[in-house]
Amino acid sequence: MIIFSLMAVTSRRILRAAVYLLFALAGTAALYFMIDYQFLAAVQLIVYAGGIVVLIIFSILLTTHINEKLEKPAPGKVFITAVLALGGFVLTVYALTQHNFVVSDLPQTEATVSHIGEKLLGYGEGGYVLPFEVISILLLAAMIGAIVIAKRKASDS
Amino acid sequence: MSLNELMIMRHEWALVAVALILLIAEIGMNENRKQNIKLFACVLMTLVTVLGFLPADTGTVFGNMYVTDPLRILMKNILNVGVLIIFLQSFSWLKQPNYQDRITEFYLLMLSSLIGVSYMISSGHFLMFYLGLELTTIPIAALAAYEQFKSKSAEAGIKLILSSAFSSAILLFGISILFAASGNLYFNSYESSDSIINVLGFIFFFSGLAFKISIVPFHLWTADVYEGSPTSVTSYLSVISKGSAVFILVIVLTTLFRVIQPMWQEVLYATSILTMTIGNLFAIRQQNVKRFLAFSSIAQAGFIMLGIVGGTALGMATVIYFVLVYVFSNLAAFGVVQAVEQASGKVTVDDYNGLYKTNPKLSLVMMLALFSLAGIPPLAGFFGKFFLFTAVAESGFYVLLGVAVLNTVISLYYYLLVVKAMFINSSDTPVTAFTSDMAMRISLVVCSVGILVIGFYSPVFAYIKELCVGI
Repeated sequence: MIIFSLMAVTSRRILRAAVYLLFALAGTAALYFMIDYQFLAAVQLIVYAGGIVVLIIFSILLTTHINEKLEKPAPGKVFITAVLALGGFVLTVYALTQHNFVVSDLPQTEATVSHIGEKLLGYGEGGYVLPFEVISILLLAAMIGAIVIAKRKASDS
Repeated sequence: MSLNELMIMRHEWALVAVALILLIAEIGMNENRKQNIKLFACVLMTLVTVLGFLPADTGTVFGNMYVTDPLRILMKNILNVGVLIIFLQSFSWLKQPNYQDRITEFYLLMLSSLIGVSYMISSGHFLMFYLGLELTTIPIAALAAYEQFKSKSAEAGIKLILSSAFSSAILLFGISILFAASGNLYFNSYESSDSIINVLGFIFFFSGLAFKISIVPFHLWTADVYEGSPTSVTSYLSVISKGSAVFILVIVLTTLFRVIQPMWQEVLYATSILTMTIGNLFAIRQQNVKRFLAFSSIAQAGFIMLGIVGGTALGMATVIYFVLVYVFSNLAAFGVVQAVEQASGKVTVDDYNGLYKTNPKLSLVMMLALFSLAGIPPLAGFFGKFFLFTAVAESGFYVLLGVAVLNTVISLYYYLLVVKAMFINSSDTPVTAFTSDMAMRISLVVCSVGILVIGFYSPVFAYIKELCVGI
């Protein structure tokens, strides 16, 4: 997963980057399988690996030439970015290893679809109906926004 | 769950209702009468704003997902007033034939963004906070690209969406680290500690928010986006977006991160000095008025940080007061910029030469706004800055205070440059005399009254201070 993520951001051909992204997303799904969360893993595969990547590839095919290569970044920039990224990585890993994680003493709950559904529409403590509804406003706004950007001038049509 | 409990979310209900009414009106309305929708939207927004000031129940709903108290209601009211003023100012701009088929969309997107702001301020859970933040940004990114036939506007849109996606990613990473540290995402039962992992999570979280407030070194998107976006959207970004992010920062710092206060004091101390100085120095060099106001708003963000550094209740009260004043001053300045842009298409400082001879009233409003931003007595901006400095001095950060005073002097210089252009410089081709429409005039009068009255009418500050006692 990590290797494919790295390849996705360093590849200079945009279509290849999209395919590497597909593998990185599949790797994430595998992670969910490993912690026995089948539902989320399936969603990850269907929505991201299945839907989003196809969408990305479609938009690449519609907007750019496949043979086009991105410019090679200047070596100085590559060096600075690599040092910064590595520094951030080391710092984060250091902080994480310093922390003494406690094992949660909450009872383990079965992550079944019905349980998830109940929580999603629950309005008490631990229920998620409000975020669920706010997301619907967000999607509506995003749709209207996309229409505004894509709409032609009235005189064109 | 009863209706009474649901009414605690009154602000949001009202905004959602207005958005839906406008959506239905857009579908049902005759093509030729689309212009009326502007008036309709303003009337509805006025109702919502007035409704917001009526006394309301406070408390939490949805199992602590949503929290509200008098302070949060005040914050929402301030931002509602700001959006109402922006609606009024956008009247003549939306009259252009290019935008005939997308007037309602402008209002819908701005309203959904405002809904996001309200939910963000009232969030009691990291998920709600994040959703509110996204809902605030995404519609505005679409609005920044509203003038799609201008390449600058499209550029502004793409820059805004990319930089905000980047900042959201950093913020989410911070939240996930905080979650790993505590195993809890609810604000009220969040157990903070001063372990290194919490500090790291805070740093990422703060960086994400700093993008929205455009604090140096996270300010690089600001000038380009402000310049390219339509002026109404720019004023939204610089006033409402920034104000809401400041408000949520105040809330989060005083509750969740109280434990690591010495830590965030240092972070804010450094960023505040950087933000003020860099914002001011770059503002001097700008020729485009919108870029100039962008850097001036970065500098103002630095001043806002001053009040937060101390971490005292007085400091937080001054921050909210300062934002209130800033809303009126900045919107007045942007209103004049927009009026001039609509009438003549001119946007550089040199174009303002001799504005006083042709349009004395507009110049007067602009002068009031700039003086208030600079902090010249007896305008409200002076009291805002004065209280901020008092709060800093009270906390004992004298070096910071010195830098801030120095920066005020620098800022006075470039604000006066514009005033000098308007009143003293003469021009062979001044902006011709024009009268702006009723809505714009109302908005400018409201802003001017705000600038003058908020400073003199002391109960305003007393009220805010009283609300801040608890934090």
